[in-house]
Amino acid sequence: METLNFLAQGFGVALTPTNLIIALVGTLIGTVVGLLPGLGPINGVALLIPVAFALGLPPESALILLAAVYLGCEYGGRISSILLNIPGEASTLMTTLDGYPLARKGLAGVALSLSAWSSFIGAFIATCGMVLFAPLLAKWAIAFGPAEYFALMVFAIVCLAGMAGDKPIKTLVASLLGLFLAAIGIDANSGVYRFTFDSIHLADGIQFVVLVLGLFSVSEVLLLLEKTHHGQDAVKATGRMLFNFREAKSVFLTNLRCAVSGFVMGVLPGAGATLASALAYMTEKRMAGEKGEFGKGDLRGLAAPETAIGASCCGAMIPMLTLGVPGSGTTAVMIGALTLYNITPGPLLFQNEPTLVWGLIASLFIANVMLLILNVPMIKVFTKILAVPNWALVPIIAIITSIGVYAVHATTFDLILMVIIGILGYILRKLDFPLSPLLLGFILGGLMEQNLRRALSISNGSMDILWSSGISQVVWLLAIVMLILPMIRIWRRRSLRRKAHMANV
Amino acid sequence: MLFQRLFLGVWLIAGLVMMYLALDYQAPFSYEPVGPRAYPMLMLGLMSAGLAYLLIKPTPIDHAHDEKPMDAPTARKVVSCILLLLAYALLFEPFGFVPSSIVAGFLFARLYGGRWLPSLVTSIVMSICLYILFDRILDVPLPLGILDGLEI
Amino acid sequence: MALSLRPLAVTAVCALLSTQLMAEPKRPECIAPASPGGGFDLTCKLAQSALVNAKLLEKPMRVTYMPGGVGAVAYNTVVAQRPKDGGTIVAFSSGSLLNLAQGKFGRFDEKAVRWLAAVGTSYGAIAVKSDSPYKTLGDLVEALKKDPSKVVIGSGGTVGSQDWMQTALVAKAAGINPRDLRYVSLEGGGEIATALLGGHIQVGSTDISDSMPHIESGDMRILAVFSENRLNESAMADIPTAREQGYDIVWPVVRGYYLGPKVSDEDYNWWKASFDKLLASDDFAKLRDQRELFPFAMTGSELDAYVQKEVAKYRGMAKEFGLIQ
Repeated sequence: METLNFLAQGFGVALTPTNLIIALVGTLIGTVVGLLPGLGPINGVALLIPVAFALGLPPESALILLAAVYLGCEYGGRISSILLNIPGEASTLMTTLDGYPLARKGLAGVALSLSAWSSFIGAFIATCGMVLFAPLLAKWAIAFGPAEYFALMVFAIVCLAGMAGDKPIKTLVASLLGLFLAAIGIDANSGVYRFTFDSIHLADGIQFVVLVLGLFSVSEVLLLLEKTHHGQDAVKATGRMLFNFREAKSVFLTNLRCAVSGFVMGVLPGAGATLASALAYMTEKRMAGEKGEFGKGDLRGLAAPETAIGASCCGAMIPMLTLGVPGSGTTAVMIGALTLYNITPGPLLFQNEPTLVWGLIASLFIANVMLLILNVPMIKVFTKILAVPNWALVPIIAIITSIGVYAVHATTFDLILMVIIGILGYILRKLDFPLSPLLLGFILGGLMEQNLRRALSISNGSMDILWSSGISQVVWLLAIVMLILPMIRIWRRRSLRRKAHMANV
Repeated sequence: MLFQRLFLGVWLIAGLVMMYLALDYQAPFSYEPVGPRAYPMLMLGLMSAGLAYLLIKPTPIDHAHDEKPMDAPTARKVVSCILLLLAYALLFEPFGFVPSSIVAGFLFARLYGGRWLPSLVTSIVMSICLYILFDRILDVPLPLGILDGLEI
Repeated sequence: MALSLRPLAVTAVCALLSTQLMAEPKRPECIAPASPGGGFDLTCKLAQSALVNAKLLEKPMRVTYMPGGVGAVAYNTVVAQRPKDGGTIVAFSSGSLLNLAQGKFGRFDEKAVRWLAAVGTSYGAIAVKSDSPYKTLGDLVEALKKDPSKVVIGSGGTVGSQDWMQTALVAKAAGINPRDLRYVSLEGGGEIATALLGGHIQVGSTDISDSMPHIESGDMRILAVFSENRLNESAMADIPTAREQGYDIVWPVVRGYYLGPKVSDEDYNWWKASFDKLLASDDFAKLRDQRELFPFAMTGSELDAYVQKEVAKYRGMAKEFGLIQ
């Protein structure tokens, strides 16, 4: 009951005209920043902190602005993934897998609106979860130590196998390349520099933005060249911009499942939206089994990662608000913003600053609704990108991509590295190697190695720590189920075939 | 198929070279039994095994339904596009964002079949607009390069 | 173009109004050698707002992010590519100096740049969960002496980082080899706090500012802070220093800025004069406190001497602990 009181108070804060306008502006700016490949919520939030401070906004309003930008960026990030097959950031990688094929079928408008809807459901459910369980979940998040994270990463990599499809060895090699690339740079445990060739530019490893924009954006530019040469145009968005009721119903269960799992992943500090969306996509694909059209434009394949992203973004606020621990890079920047206002996020925040916390939670609800309303009419504008002729579109993609990479380090080295990775990506694509397992391997690999070694340093080398806690046992069990599930399916198919064979004889 | 084998071969060699390099990675201090060497060795080893398998038994390439086979003029265009991308990357900083983007944008547009005048106009307008958008509005500093002397 | 005229006019007005005769460097910029949100970002933002607040700069200067090797990328870029750029200051911390001392900054050493100003400091600290059996630093050292493999220490960096160094100093105080510790490298103060609260580690070797929220909520305790004297802030006045407990460990994490090696004296002096003015003002002290930094003011040749001394000290420690030959 007390919670509801606080929430009502929060809505009182969030619904003042000034704060509503701030939320609106924030979501708009966020959408634009998120749309640009390479620039993500971290840039958006970092950009607006000094502005908020300079305008003398009170802390609640500033935090509302930042939260709106954060959510807006995640909304904008999907647009380039669906329309151009260029994921602007890690989390929207999975969106390209089915979003782009949908756009190629002329369903760009439907894909955009359905993903907006999915993300809304995810964020909505997660915000409700936040209201109800925040303190409880914070305790659970703490219980996740290196051993548990290691189990989780293994689980995710096992799920990765589900993406193999009809070319298992190529998928395997691609993911292993990604897993290996994660080892480049300084080793966080021992301080040894690995595969840096004495170049300081590789000391921190390959930046994710460089890898993703090289593999996807540069190779896409080269593929577009071939298409232009052969006189093929982009498939324009035809007809319907909005999804219909039947489509929404067909993905509703996916929405619900992925909202819950995405929220849970979001709460874990460090796991974040990428892991959430990848796990959501891969488990949904497993569940759909043979009947799914995953990878060829399945609506569930679009809804799953988008719901999970929306949910995990809100989930990531929990460790920030309750523990003062950033749940993602963006929330780390937001914590920096709070300290500017002399507010230290942490265990006492809920007690000391209830208006701020509940105002923020209420504004998450409002920003989500606003984004949904705002984005639906804008979809028509966004799909116009597909109508731009290649000779004008490609220079823009190439230049914005370069800016996105330059924005990370401000060095020429990264630009060159991006082009080289792009050439590699182009060849890999021509040779039919899947690129998304490579990227996922890259993301998961570092976390897996470091957490394993951390766990073993804690236990002084004893392996028991890896499966001693209840949480890790559950995760291991899930991983085993994920491994066995397809085997059972194969076995059943075989026995069915054998039966049919017997009947025929 | 020949190209695929060649590429896989080079990749495999690169993987083996990396493994050789990884042999040296030892920490002065280690607080756990795994150390900095095991993980990259394992990944590289598995990757090399996969590559070797592919070299012996290459999987046929499943071309997308609308993909046309590579011919000489396309290949030439792809190579020039790669060179253009590299040149742009190299000139981005010393030459400055606006000048290098105008030149690169124009050449890109021409390469993708744009006509002279529209390509030129688009690349100039685009470069200046993007500069203002990123450098001034979004606060992503972009190099001025040869325009450094101008007070903008 | 109206757009291009305005900054011109601004510069002109600035030059007229400024009490100093020196001109503001062209296109001032602060390079934060890390991703947004970290300590270096904070250092740059501090200079950014302070210089504008004190009317030393008309427009806030730009903040550019150049992450890589605790400042190595930025250091090399400035020395090799932009040595004469008088408008560009780069943030550094004791962590940068430590890596510089271990030769992790490439081919350049600590004499390659012009050290400008140090504006604040933080201090290392040893934290435990509130129900920990260790009540003082002495308890911990005793436990380590008895059996170093029984105590799990977590800290925010790899072997050779600042957090590791301060842990190694505790080990040294206990008379054991830092190699025999049971040590986990985590990432940043946030992870240390979660790992401590979750019971994954028993002792956190961390930074005083990072742990304060958890101290205030009563979840964590500080065994010792590695400052010269007790810290002059209400919430921290009760926290004992390592020195008063009989262990001579002082570990400041100084934050400041440097300029390129070939920056003109005119520009260098402008920056130095500006920071001298800032460091003397109360407004700046307020801004610094907001960012959880403690007083530490040094500019010009004084700072240069300090940096050279620190780097030499770090080099000695790295040799002693077997990190470098």
